[in-house]
Amino acid sequence: MVAKYQLLFAGILFKANFKLPQKYPIQNYKGSQVKSGNNFNKIAEWDEGAARHLLARTLFGYNKQDVEFALSITLDEFVDNYLLADQPEPTPPGLWVNDPLDENTTENTRELIYWWYNNMLTQGYSLRERMVLFWHNHFVSEVTKVSLPQRMYWQNKLFRDFAMGNVRELAKAVTIDPAMLIYLDGTRNRVGAPNENYARELMELFTLGIGNYTEEDIREAARALTGWRVDGLTPYFTESRFDNGFKTIFGQTGNFNYIDVVNIIFQQTAAATYICRGLYHEFMHVAHDEESIAAMSQILSENNFELKPVLSTLLKSVMFHTDEIRGAKIKGPVELMVGAMRQFSVATPDYPYMRTVAAQTKQELFSPPNVSGWDGDKVWINTTTLPARHIFTDAVVNGRRPGGDDLTFQLNLVEYARTFSSSEDAVQLIDDIAKIFLQYPLSENRREYLLNTLLDGAEVYDWSTNDPQAENRLKLFFKALMRLSEYQLS
Amino acid sequence: MDRRAFLRNLGVITGAGAVSMVIGDVSLRAFSKSFLNVSSVNGKVIVILQLSGGNDGLNTIIPIEDSLYYNARPSLRIPKADAIELSNLTGMHPSLLPLKSLFDDGKLAIVQNVGYDSPDRSHFRSTDIWLSGSDSNVIIEDGWVGRYLANVFPEHNNFNTEHPMAIQIGSTQSALLECTCQGTMGISFESPNQFYQLINGSTADNDPPPNTIAGNQLKYIKEVAALSIRFAEIIKEKADSVQNLVTYPDTRLGRQLAIVAELIAGGLETPVYLTSIGGFDTHANQAGGHSNLLSGVAQAVAAFQADLELLRVADRVVLMTFSEFGRRVNQNSSGGTDHGTAAPLFVIGKNVNGGIYGRNPDLSDLDNSGDIKFKYDFRQIYATLLTDQLGMPDDRMPDVLPRSFETLPLISARNFNQNAPSSFHLEQNYPNPFNPITTINYSLRVPLTFILEVYSATGDRVATLVNRYQEAGSYSVQFDGSKYPSGVYFATLESGKVRQTIKMVLLK
Repeated sequence: MVAKYQLLFAGILFKANFKLPQKYPIQNYKGSQVKSGNNFNKIAEWDEGAARHLLARTLFGYNKQDVEFALSITLDEFVDNYLLADQPEPTPPGLWVNDPLDENTTENTRELIYWWYNNMLTQGYSLRERMVLFWHNHFVSEVTKVSLPQRMYWQNKLFRDFAMGNVRELAKAVTIDPAMLIYLDGTRNRVGAPNENYARELMELFTLGIGNYTEEDIREAARALTGWRVDGLTPYFTESRFDNGFKTIFGQTGNFNYIDVVNIIFQQTAAATYICRGLYHEFMHVAHDEESIAAMSQILSENNFELKPVLSTLLKSVMFHTDEIRGAKIKGPVELMVGAMRQFSVATPDYPYMRTVAAQTKQELFSPPNVSGWDGDKVWINTTTLPARHIFTDAVVNGRRPGGDDLTFQLNLVEYARTFSSSEDAVQLIDDIAKIFLQYPLSENRREYLLNTLLDGAEVYDWSTNDPQAENRLKLFFKALMRLSEYQLS
Repeated sequence: MDRRAFLRNLGVITGAGAVSMVIGDVSLRAFSKSFLNVSSVNGKVIVILQLSGGNDGLNTIIPIEDSLYYNARPSLRIPKADAIELSNLTGMHPSLLPLKSLFDDGKLAIVQNVGYDSPDRSHFRSTDIWLSGSDSNVIIEDGWVGRYLANVFPEHNNFNTEHPMAIQIGSTQSALLECTCQGTMGISFESPNQFYQLINGSTADNDPPPNTIAGNQLKYIKEVAALSIRFAEIIKEKADSVQNLVTYPDTRLGRQLAIVAELIAGGLETPVYLTSIGGFDTHANQAGGHSNLLSGVAQAVAAFQADLELLRVADRVVLMTFSEFGRRVNQNSSGGTDHGTAAPLFVIGKNVNGGIYGRNPDLSDLDNSGDIKFKYDFRQIYATLLTDQLGMPDDRMPDVLPRSFETLPLISARNFNQNAPSSFHLEQNYPNPFNPITTINYSLRVPLTFILEVYSATGDRVATLVNRYQEAGSYSVQFDGSKYPSGVYFATLESGKVRQTIKMVLLK
């Protein structure tokens, strides 16, 4: 659900859009190029701007080497052989993931979060972790109710196994995933005493969207989902708890079980549409172009709900690469933080501090706010979370937490600046660095502001990374750069 | 005064609402920019307490004599002996004990069976409906509070008021405070100190973004950045200027309400606060959890009310609770309850007409899903708070809510003349509503030439009650409405540039 509003500010009339909390809102932008989109032709030119945009939307941050690598091969190669390629599985965070009796939940949850941060940062050129986070926010569970982080690990592994796989099969696997069975009361759902919690959210939030099913469909599906329970980390089926009668779901009648329920749901055209709306929301923008979503849905269903074809087409399309949506997505907190680590190529990130900031900026992994997940977009940014983001980027540059404790790493900004051939040319250096940190073109005002910050009173021809004050000046510059509102956008 | 001028002064044309009624008294300041504050609601405040997840109304306010209730809740029922008796038919969950004295003192109003037609059982959709004030089958994109603020103070926004238009305690921001016409009318923070520390050292940025999709996103972020910088200092100053006078429970909600009390007593003029507590989605093992939740709410709210009274601001504040729905009458097999429909809500305050509004839910007349049918539309409560607490003119109601809603007599001291001019004072008429004669009292603190007139809601003058010079003193005059149709009338006392207006209702 979206509201448009106008505001008189600084004497200029702006229009903006505010998204209210509703999953994958349906919205069109009038008069936008994106709306007239539905353009799945491949882009004509694979250039620096296109590469930066693609990297920004598919990874967690990128650096100068990443841009150079992407441009050293073709767009087809980069998308199909890297972003969408299968990856080896990461080593689990610890042996505890297999031990249902290990009740060190606080410590294990912490380890699990740091482990995932690390996967995001070190995965190379893969879309996978981005998709794992997408599924975490789509098929939502919360560790507090699931109680064992072990179960969240296995759910996370499921999302990784199916990251770019078959979404219908993922939905089946999720339905009897132990974390999900517990989170949405599937284990309490038995013959004669149905619990509709999972059946409702399966249709409302996971597959079809509100308005595409009836209360009767929910009640009947709940019956078909009966019989499942969890023993430690394992789901198991108990025949005597299963409702062994006929159920009628979306007009089909039979003695259905959970596999049938998911199959029947995915026969509804709304399923492909709903999933594609989610993907569009994730990779394009929150404004929806229903024509393009219809075209994406067609690709998804024609390919038997395999995700790679639709993702491949999308990421190479003119529609995805239109100027208009570059820099139009508000970064999530984890994207912002892991992204900052990748931008500076930090080898030893301070995961405890990142987790603290994640709590302040409202994205604690494995603890989404409710079954609908994080709303994202403008909901990320408010008068509390935005200042908290600024304090984080300041801390990264300072190498110190706001309280004064050192972080696990200290940037060497002079060395960083010297990775750019323009390091001794202040004006060019600012432009080159901005291309790594911002998707948004620098206005003249911005460039001047950043230049003045970097020079800190000196003349432009005085700039040199050999200057004893260069490190301090670069600190001021990077803090200012990352405090720009543009830095919050990807 | 011609009709148009009258309407303008009432705020009907300019939309300035209750603001302009007494603005003559401060005319010099009124037209300078620095006067743009939000005290225009005469210091009246509403505090909204959102119980997220769907509070089980039936175990909150209990039909203690209804066997259908006991049958539907074999293990979850609250026995009559345990319930706190409010009347011979109605009891309250024992965990709400801290609210009992408020009920006895007439400060707690319980409105039964509040809901809406064609109820939606999705948390998200039903929350949207409650926040937006929409009908069930209509999507309204902004919040009723945001629309109220933008409609009544069209020239005000968070960039020109001294104090924020609305405050949410917490670090997410609710759609409640959004308005499609003007954007966000509220700001959110966890605590004044933390907010101040976050902002310290930030600078605003006025570089205008382009009008593109990305530019719109950028503009939003800049706006939030500017907002946070704007208000951090004043909020800390107001919060630091007073201290809570009671000890609040050390819970999230207790801390939220403690902050709200300090801000109100500290002189922040913000008219609307939003607080919230989650966890009410009790699908399984409800008994203990629900009891703890209610106890947390009752303790925090009782402390808040006591604090407001000690801080001497209780006259200005009304607190309203709401939840997106109640829960199903029959308990489920998991020792919990599933999503339901209508439920009771609380309106609390010193100027509230306490008591129980409406009867216990009729458990023999449920809808197809076994849920309670609503008797009061939730927007009747909103309408009551907007008009009788915040002083919004009735005719603005359709601008804020989907249409006009009948108000309930929840508020005893209605907000029309709190900010009276210093030279005279026009009191609320009595009786009100009246038929056909009502008495209007007024007092002059100095000798004065003035005019006291009655206008219809459309701005036509129907009577001139007084038009003369009088010595200082207290007077009364009667208005006879026998020649006029039922409806809203305004009595206005004017002297020089100063005027004051009261609203009267003729009910035949």
